[in-house]
Amino acid sequence: MTPAGAGFSWSAIARGLPYLLEGAGLTIMISAVAMVVAAVLGLALAALSQAPGRLARRLVAAYVEIFRNTPLLIQIFIVYFGLPQLGLKLSPFLSGLSALVFYAAAYNTEIFRAGLEAVPRGQLEAARSLGLSAPATLRWITVPQALRISFPALGNNLVSLVKNSSLVSTIGMVELMFVANDISFNNFRTFEIYGTTAVIYVLLVLGLTRLLRAAERRLLRAA
Amino acid sequence: MNVLLDSVPYLLRGALHTVAIAAAVMLLGTVGGIVVGLLNFTPWPWLRASVTAVVEVVRAVPLLLLIFFIFFGLPALGVKIPTFPAAVLAMALWMAVNTAEVVRGGIQSIAPGQFEAGRSAGLSEVQLMRYVIFPQAVRRMIPPFVGLCTILVKDTSLAAIIGVFELTRAAQETIERTLKSFEIYLAAAAIYFVVCFPLTRLGQRAEARLHRT
Repeated sequence: MTPAGAGFSWSAIARGLPYLLEGAGLTIMISAVAMVVAAVLGLALAALSQAPGRLARRLVAAYVEIFRNTPLLIQIFIVYFGLPQLGLKLSPFLSGLSALVFYAAAYNTEIFRAGLEAVPRGQLEAARSLGLSAPATLRWITVPQALRISFPALGNNLVSLVKNSSLVSTIGMVELMFVANDISFNNFRTFEIYGTTAVIYVLLVLGLTRLLRAAERRLLRAA
Repeated sequence: MNVLLDSVPYLLRGALHTVAIAAAVMLLGTVGGIVVGLLNFTPWPWLRASVTAVVEVVRAVPLLLLIFFIFFGLPALGVKIPTFPAAVLAMALWMAVNTAEVVRGGIQSIAPGQFEAGRSAGLSEVQLMRYVIFPQAVRRMIPPFVGLCTILVKDTSLAAIIGVFELTRAAQETIERTLKSFEIYLAAAAIYFVVCFPLTRLGQRAEARLHRT
């Protein structure tokens, strides 16, 4: 084993790569799960904010503004370090995941709200004049179109989520960043390991972006 | 409750550092970002392609990793940067590439007719940029740029992870003393909110004004 600082070590990368790729897999899984839950939550809150009465709109707006104007790191710390004080002790995995979900959902709520408002009024009027009930209109007319309109912004939010997931490493949740820290603090090849980790993130993000653009184009064609 | 009141002054000291870091990063990052963003419009294809590639790659890296790479990774090459400059450098890099995207987007959103009219009026490329395109593009850049500034203020919290003193670090130190994690982190969140919320509102108003004309 080469002493620290003695030139670039490809073998350190080779030995660390399997673990880093495992971490990358976890990052993908965490981001996917968080995004799905956050999307459902965001859609529900966006629909709620369209409900009659000021209270619903104000509550949702308060949630959105609070979670968008405070750092994700602090939110993670509140869930993992703060909640146990109130009696709710979550594992690093659940803490990190829930923090990511609430953060992403705040942005999703805004995205869906804009998407729902962007569905042409004529669609709603046509649905009503056909005798569709309000829930049916939502289910078959409004939400599908809102989803298509919101898709690009949702995709961008997913990419941000993948990058933001690196923050959960600070509370010991295992994903790519955590594995990178773990390896490099053990073998001191920080440059090689963090460099490789950066390459993996770049491939993940650029790959995801390409996939999303392709999906956007297909959605547009189907419209 | 007493703990909370006693801690607020220390937290506010941290908040001051947060604002100072954000200001420094904004200065460096914006200047760098405008330069890099404008490089996208030089007449040399190889330069434009390189700039686009570098910007896309650096933007794909999480800020936390950028900070760790500069602070922990570079020393292995012999380049030892202390915590504060390392954090500022990483964040300025982040700010620059994201600002470059905003600049690029703003300029590209200007109708091609403006470029054609300017050129046919005999303006050089530099004059065209300076007197016709950029002034119009700047208005469109303001809402996303304000958004970036808000994200930046929030992301200064990452500097605490490598030990830089700012609001999050102040909160952590206070908690080490008092063990009141929930209240202190909540107070820190409230202070961040007080700084970020007006910025968000500013961005929304700028956006509204943009769409009015």
